[in-house]
Amino acid sequence: MTRSIKFTLKPRWNEIEKIRNRSRRFLASHGLSDDNVQAFTMVISELIENSVKYGKFETSNNEVIVDIQINGKTVTVEVINPVDETVYTHLKALDKTIQWIRGFQDPFEAYVERLKAVAKKPLDDDDSGLGLARIAYEGQAILDFFLSEDHILNVSAVSNP
Amino acid sequence: MYPNASEVKANLVEGPTTIPIDVKFSSKYSLLIRSRNGNSFDPDTEFSKLVLEREGERIELGRCRILPEPNHEGYAGRLIFTRDVYDLESLLFHNKLVRLQNAFLNLPLILAHKHKISQSFKNYTANLTYDLSVYKNLFDSLDAEYADEPENIKASLQETIIAAEGRKFMAFLDDKLQELARIVRNFSREEHERHGFYFRKQLWNFIRCAPFMARTNLKPRGYAGDSEMMSMIYANDYWGDSTFAKLLHKHPIEHPAAQAVRNRRHVIGKIIEAMKSDGCRNRSGKQKILSVACGPARELEDILLAADDCRGFHFALLDQDRAALHEAAKLVDQIESKLNTHIGVDYLNESVRTMLATPQLKTKLGQFHFVYSMGLFDYLTPPVASAVLGKLYQLLKPGGEMVIGNYHISNPGRHYMEYWLDWVLFYRTEEDFKHLLKDAPDAEVDVFFDDTGVQMFLRVKKKRKMDSDSSFLPAEV
Repeated sequence: MTRSIKFTLKPRWNEIEKIRNRSRRFLASHGLSDDNVQAFTMVISELIENSVKYGKFETSNNEVIVDIQINGKTVTVEVINPVDETVYTHLKALDKTIQWIRGFQDPFEAYVERLKAVAKKPLDDDDSGLGLARIAYEGQAILDFFLSEDHILNVSAVSNP
Repeated sequence: MYPNASEVKANLVEGPTTIPIDVKFSSKYSLLIRSRNGNSFDPDTEFSKLVLEREGERIELGRCRILPEPNHEGYAGRLIFTRDVYDLESLLFHNKLVRLQNAFLNLPLILAHKHKISQSFKNYTANLTYDLSVYKNLFDSLDAEYADEPENIKASLQETIIAAEGRKFMAFLDDKLQELARIVRNFSREEHERHGFYFRKQLWNFIRCAPFMARTNLKPRGYAGDSEMMSMIYANDYWGDSTFAKLLHKHPIEHPAAQAVRNRRHVIGKIIEAMKSDGCRNRSGKQKILSVACGPARELEDILLAADDCRGFHFALLDQDRAALHEAAKLVDQIESKLNTHIGVDYLNESVRTMLATPQLKTKLGQFHFVYSMGLFDYLTPPVASAVLGKLYQLLKPGGEMVIGNYHISNPGRHYMEYWLDWVLFYRTEEDFKHLLKDAPDAEVDVFFDDTGVQMFLRVKKKRKMDSDSSFLPAEV
């Protein structure tokens, strides 16, 4: 049986903490271990932060949707928000980074490689992919995304401990 | 590399002494140096620091000394660093201070990663490493023994050794895989990941000598399952620089998981073959076929055997990898030359993750009689797989069919792929697979398998209005 919860939030930084707390309570109430609750709350938080950072919220109706589903041992979170064409270059990089991270059986390896790369990057380059590697490694989650025809970006993380 | 590197003012400092100098990028780890006051340098002197003055900024670097090279482009010699070694290319051209030793910063993290490895797994890996060393030494000794023979004699001798001792070695590998499966049977996903990392660290010197294993581990195109790996699987041959390497290359390629890749190519070939006699065509008299994540599209050489075959189809080949599309285009050229005809092909360089955003994809590409995708859904999580499948379904003509591949959760090569090859797939059950298209209207969905039982196919037919005709998929696939 699938248990799920859906949140919508305005793209404001101070909204993230509220959703983080509500997500934590939802995950804990469905029997996940403390470690898994903590790890997956981090994942949700990172995905929402990226959503607020890269989303394009032109009208007051534009919101971030967070959909959490628990099916057996599998937890799936989808974070959905509007984007515009200015983020397409970023999405191509995201596509490559996600495939690269998932190319390692152990995401720890991707995390260490990213740490090395970050140490070599210029200080003004914040597009390190370290956050994504952290989601995969510390959050034990498989990342993926797609962009739909109406410019809605859906980034998902699937965890199966 | 950087011919226009400019000079930078700097000071060498040792105790109370400061020497004004000009420095210029020489190599990644050295600077050309010239005194600004005409003094010469004592080659034995070590300085406590170098202070660079750049764009109003002072950058202090640590201990250094001079390697005298008089009259080198008007410079007195080169400056090298003796404690912290700096990447001067990063510093001078990318504004980033990087030490050569930075790689060691993560050392404690990596060393600690071995702490949760089970003792039985450590024993298994140690024994396997020992056994592989013994085998490698023996095969290398035999290679050396006949190294001076003429080429055709060498080839024949190697074939003999592979057929006898080589096959015994491969049987040994089979046994070790079964042992691995027993040991890791109850591991969680995190335990698999951690033990896989440990395993590959221990066995890397063996893994890297086998071309297939090296490629799956290194993933030079940034993802697993690239067209070169597919070509290796299709070739199913002994490749490598030594007998040992050849055996280690061939073993995973003989495995049912790789046989499934060869089988699926023929499954698709048979389906399209059956379409040749089907009446559904577009206005130009062709049947439109879309291959998603087409790779080198080697199945085309199984399908297009005569000029008439080429006239009956129009293909759209989509892949995120330009190199794969290039290989597919080369194959199409070869078939066209061989059959002296033209093949209608559109090449689409696009990732499925962003393809869905293409405005009016249906208008742009049209609809297809047949859509297939073999090595893609094994990498898509359910939300993405479901969205992609829904979009592909929209691209089907009424009456059209779609066949999508995914490795089944029971893949007996799963641990082999994950531990040895660092190749992780998203496995599905039949129900998981069908569930991806749960909301499609007018869809008839079923699942079938290849002969190995590893490769699962989702077959989707989009019903015509008042549709009563049968599938063009042959019954045996």
